[in-house]
Amino acid sequence: MSDEPTPQVPSRRAFLKVAGTVAATTVAASTAGVVACTPSDSKGTGEAPAATGGARGTGFDRRTLDALGEVLLPASLGSARQKGAVDAFVAWVDEYAPVAEEMHGYGYADIRYLPPDPAPGWRAQLEGLDLLARRSRQRPFAELDAEGRRAVVTAALAPFGSAAIPDALGAPHVALALLAHWTNSPDAWDLALGAKVARDTCRQLQGVERKPLPLAGGDA
Amino acid sequence: MTTVGGDIVIIGSGITAANMAAHLAEHTTRSIVVIEAGPASTPFAERTAARKRFLAYGENPWARDHLEDQNAFGVTYGFSPNMHVGGLAMHWGGVTPRYSPEDFITNSLYGIGTDWPYTYEDLDPFYQEAEERMGIAGEQGPPAMDPRGKPYPLPPIPVNYNLQQLQLWATQAGIASWSCPSAKATVPYQGRAQCQRCDTCYPVCPSGAKYSPDFTWDALVKSKRVTLVTGTLVRRLVADAKTGRIVRATGNRTDASGEEVTIEGQTFVLAAGFIWSPHLLLLSRDAAHPNGLANRSGLVGKYLAGHRNIGGQISLPLELYPGLNAQHSLVSKQFQRASYPGGKYLRHDLRLWESSVGRGARLRDDKGNLLLGDALLADWKQRAKGATARVRAYYDVLPHRESKFVLDDTRKNRWGDPMPLVTFKDAPESEALRPWQEEELRNLFRRMAKAGGGEVISLASNANDIGQEHPTGGCRAGNDPTTSVVDGWGRAHDHENLWVGGAPTQPSASCCNGTLTFVAVGLRTASAIAKSV
Repeated sequence: MSDEPTPQVPSRRAFLKVAGTVAATTVAASTAGVVACTPSDSKGTGEAPAATGGARGTGFDRRTLDALGEVLLPASLGSARQKGAVDAFVAWVDEYAPVAEEMHGYGYADIRYLPPDPAPGWRAQLEGLDLLARRSRQRPFAELDAEGRRAVVTAALAPFGSAAIPDALGAPHVALALLAHWTNSPDAWDLALGAKVARDTCRQLQGVERKPLPLAGGDA
Repeated sequence: MTTVGGDIVIIGSGITAANMAAHLAEHTTRSIVVIEAGPASTPFAERTAARKRFLAYGENPWARDHLEDQNAFGVTYGFSPNMHVGGLAMHWGGVTPRYSPEDFITNSLYGIGTDWPYTYEDLDPFYQEAEERMGIAGEQGPPAMDPRGKPYPLPPIPVNYNLQQLQLWATQAGIASWSCPSAKATVPYQGRAQCQRCDTCYPVCPSGAKYSPDFTWDALVKSKRVTLVTGTLVRRLVADAKTGRIVRATGNRTDASGEEVTIEGQTFVLAAGFIWSPHLLLLSRDAAHPNGLANRSGLVGKYLAGHRNIGGQISLPLELYPGLNAQHSLVSKQFQRASYPGGKYLRHDLRLWESSVGRGARLRDDKGNLLLGDALLADWKQRAKGATARVRAYYDVLPHRESKFVLDDTRKNRWGDPMPLVTFKDAPESEALRPWQEEELRNLFRRMAKAGGGEVISLASNANDIGQEHPTGGCRAGNDPTTSVVDGWGRAHDHENLWVGGAPTQPSASCCNGTLTFVAVGLRTASAIAKSV
């Protein structure tokens, strides 16, 4: 399901029923030298992140990354959905804008910024997985069988003892970043819940009182 | 030097200012000019893209929404640096409960705090006006707990499947709950779309269902009844030394030019929130007003009020599907009207949400074994069964006179104006009762968990050092000029043509989200201005 809402531009007649005309006795508001503003129609912010040309995500060794996805993600997804999850992760890395301004909502009054580009470190870790496979098992990571790949990943993740999956952006290892990205997705949550909830997507209000429908087939 | 002029000058363009301007545009023929320090932020057409980036990375969806050198410091939880068209209400959650009648008469009822110079009944029509202007969707609670003069303008946000289960649980615990009122269109309303459960009301609604002040400004500007001047920081009000009348405001463009700007008008309205409205009054000190304008009482910037909360997560033997509408909740007001044996004072709201806490995937099992692939999914499916509820109660905190901000000469903006340094301080009655109040709330949640056969996962309170939420005060209203800054209508005691709108004038901050009340109070002031000009 798309998370695109159906924007409905507010009516230009909305919100006010302005009555009457300005009396001749009133002083018209003057703004000499100042441009008045119509907020919602203002020109774009001009702050869209610059296109990266895929330098980050597509810089991953896809053969190794796809093989990692096959270890981390449920085989019950099937290879097409596993690869789709890896594609989504790569696109997410590609579109990251390092050190962009973080949302400053309630709870803190200072301006904070997102981390620098995590991709170089993740690329190095992906290369490290392959090197570890070659040194410990004399074959590239992508050419190992499932058991061999699991052993290499288990060794690589040994320093990370916490049960919690970190936020993808702050993940200290590329395997954790990929896993976090997938487990945070609406599709993964639906799979876990066994129902079509579609969290984080824009959906109609109608029918929300009913229990969500089970996933077709009831499983992955 | 640029000169701007209008009959009525409104300083600030947040949610209170927008609704006051709309009221004035309809009820007077005077020209209205609105001065905003910042620019317009993310246009409506870009909010879907902004939402996507917020969800993906946590990016701020509101570009250029603050001035780097114009911020408050100290204890500022509940404050967010926002100087742009629409202010904080561009990223508000849109939750709109009313205060309770008791809030206005705590001194008469309980012998503590300060009675407001008007009652809930006096404010009721302005609550209604605010709800109609903003398109509030709400469910009438039991009238004894939720009194109101007229019905909500829009039908309530549906009590979804998850909330239905939580509502049954609350009933088991002896708590009446209902759909939380919200500024989200449940049916198309005045050009706004129906809510689409995008679940990012806070911080950005991509559909236009959630009310935000820019919609009002669009309509007002297009109608030519209001001139909205952006990028102009008002730094001083100038008062006549003999009459006290405000004769002009002065400031500067906040772009690279920094050009000086003079704002001329007959009536001046401060609608810049609980920090910046009193801040401007203090900055405007002169020989005739050495402590700042409107400050005969010495109370400008003082009696800052707010509320704290106890919140938590409770696991329950139910079946919930987190993600149906996580930003919508149930609300109960029965504890806002409660009285307690022994005369101890505790009033609080109660909110209930679905939650996914404890139900997400994990990397390792209880023995520390790594979970990969199908093993991870099988473990997750087990964890996802059942239910977690998020609970929270805001409780009323009465302000001390010295709950205040001061001008901090160590932090200045580019023009050398000292910035506010905020320190909240509880009134003695609140300070003495705080440990008991918070334990009472924790006990309430423990009782609720037990009633549903569940367990408390966690309970937490605001840390001591993060201040209070939905803050008010700084220009408190009252009938006595020696103990208040403005009168019961929001007019400064010391300056006949100076008014303060909304939150700064409130003597207290109740125990629920405050924005609707800020707007209602502002509209009450706007009605008085309209009669006076």
